[in-house]
Amino acid sequence: METPATLEAKNITRLYKGSGRGVTDVSLAVGRGEIFGLVGPNGSGKSTLLRVLSTGLTPDSGTFRVGAADGINEKRKAQAKLGLVVDRPTHYGDLSGWANAFLFARAYGMEEEKANGALAELFDCFDLAEYKDDKAKTYSYGMGKKLALIEAVAHGPELLLMDEPSLGLDYTSQLAYQRKVRELAGAGAGMVLASNQVDEVEALCDRVAFLHKGRVVAEGTPGDLVASLRGVKRMVATLRNPVEYSPLGEVAGVERVATEGRNLVIHCEDRPGLVADVVAGIVGAGGDITDLSVRRPNLEDVFVKLTGEALRPDEA
Amino acid sequence: MRLNPPDTYWKKDVTLFFSKRFALIIKMLYPLAIIVPVAASGIPARYAAAVVGIVAIMAGTFGAGESLTSDLNDGILARVALTPLSPYRIVFEILAVNVVLDFLQLLPALLVVYILHPVSLLWVCAATFAVFATLAAANCIGVFIANFTSSPADVLLYATAILFPLIYVSGFFRNQHPTGILATLRDFVPFAYANDAMKYVFGLQTRTTPLEVFVYPTVICAALIFIVCLTAPRLLSQRL
Repeated sequence: METPATLEAKNITRLYKGSGRGVTDVSLAVGRGEIFGLVGPNGSGKSTLLRVLSTGLTPDSGTFRVGAADGINEKRKAQAKLGLVVDRPTHYGDLSGWANAFLFARAYGMEEEKANGALAELFDCFDLAEYKDDKAKTYSYGMGKKLALIEAVAHGPELLLMDEPSLGLDYTSQLAYQRKVRELAGAGAGMVLASNQVDEVEALCDRVAFLHKGRVVAEGTPGDLVASLRGVKRMVATLRNPVEYSPLGEVAGVERVATEGRNLVIHCEDRPGLVADVVAGIVGAGGDITDLSVRRPNLEDVFVKLTGEALRPDEA
Repeated sequence: MRLNPPDTYWKKDVTLFFSKRFALIIKMLYPLAIIVPVAASGIPARYAAAVVGIVAIMAGTFGAGESLTSDLNDGILARVALTPLSPYRIVFEILAVNVVLDFLQLLPALLVVYILHPVSLLWVCAATFAVFATLAAANCIGVFIANFTSSPADVLLYATAILFPLIYVSGFFRNQHPTGILATLRDFVPFAYANDAMKYVFGLQTRTTPLEVFVYPTVICAALIFIVCLTAPRLLSQRL
């Protein structure tokens, strides 16, 4: 008999009445131990999809299952299998970090002794043991995020839904978080990771789906998706002043030019002399280059190629 | 029974109630500060009874309404609602623990009233129960209001709109001897029974019997609690 997927979502549509935004006809499946990445710019529908999958929002149409539990008609069964890291975690500020985590562990049905054991290990893992008795309102943003991770994984969920989980974490905590995620995946937990941090997604995820304007525009392994940009290089030029960059598109070998803040991102063929031609084109347009990098493409470039839009247009 | 760290929602509320010492002192003192001078003074019994009723109504409605609205705005309640806990149970626990905590706040002031105005044990029990029922009804109103509010200011506005007619119908100030539809409506407002019981404590005769004070508010509050708990899925849903 075939083992059911940890998560199976079919044709999920959920649109907000006011803005008309949301997700449309999204289907995805996540197997046991698989880490599935959701990548898309702000407003692409990642958080909405996670809200639906966490049972927080009822979809306009479509169905989903968490293990054997129907996510719409058997909410509480599905909720018991889920771990959640929401994009803006909040806690009871006047309770200690430990008390917050303990309350959630018990809400997920953990017995007291098991909860104490699991939480002690997790507070150590995320370097929060020293602060466990401090009130949650004294925690920094990063510490709050770590506490949210602890609350999400303590009960050993079958499926972990994470919305920008590493945002605000320091380097050491990111390592601890990635180690814990791999450990949970190794133990069989499926995961959905919504993030704009393409390095994190490439490092952690087995498969990735790109969301654009609420629809899945591509899905595959990070390696396959990046490999689909055969022979393409990515150049990023930081300019002291904005320039009219459209003439760059006429340089032989340049496929696409986009802006990311003060940076010009140029996707181009891998041919000798092209870098010099691009630099000449920028200088010719009056640009003053303060920094220039040329590197292999990543998931961000795949997204740009697919949609013609930057993944993080509001950054830099 | 250990309360901290809390392992249920109601224990969380009790832990938070006792964790803020300054707020706790204020909460315990303000009913005394309002009710005791009134009880010790010679003001007419109907106004003294009204003060006790108003304090109970305000404590119940605003306490539950504002703390719930604040937790809902924080998003913490929506997060709790995504755990396997039943939303009905969460709302019931919120309601029950708030009623009990509000009652604890009012109890010292009530005891002083009974010392200053001794009545039979039956009426002491009836009046105490009627105040408890008033708190239950007021908390139900507070929880109900939280379904529609997004700030403490909203709570104030909605509570005023709901409570003023109820206070009028209950006969705290006007409508002391209602007839017709007003009399019928009065029978369905739990505040009216607390008002009658407290009037008796302060020395006025009332047509309401202690048995009625025990039975009718119980039935009405049970219905109110049931109805308010039915709003749980909507109340705890994510606010977008």
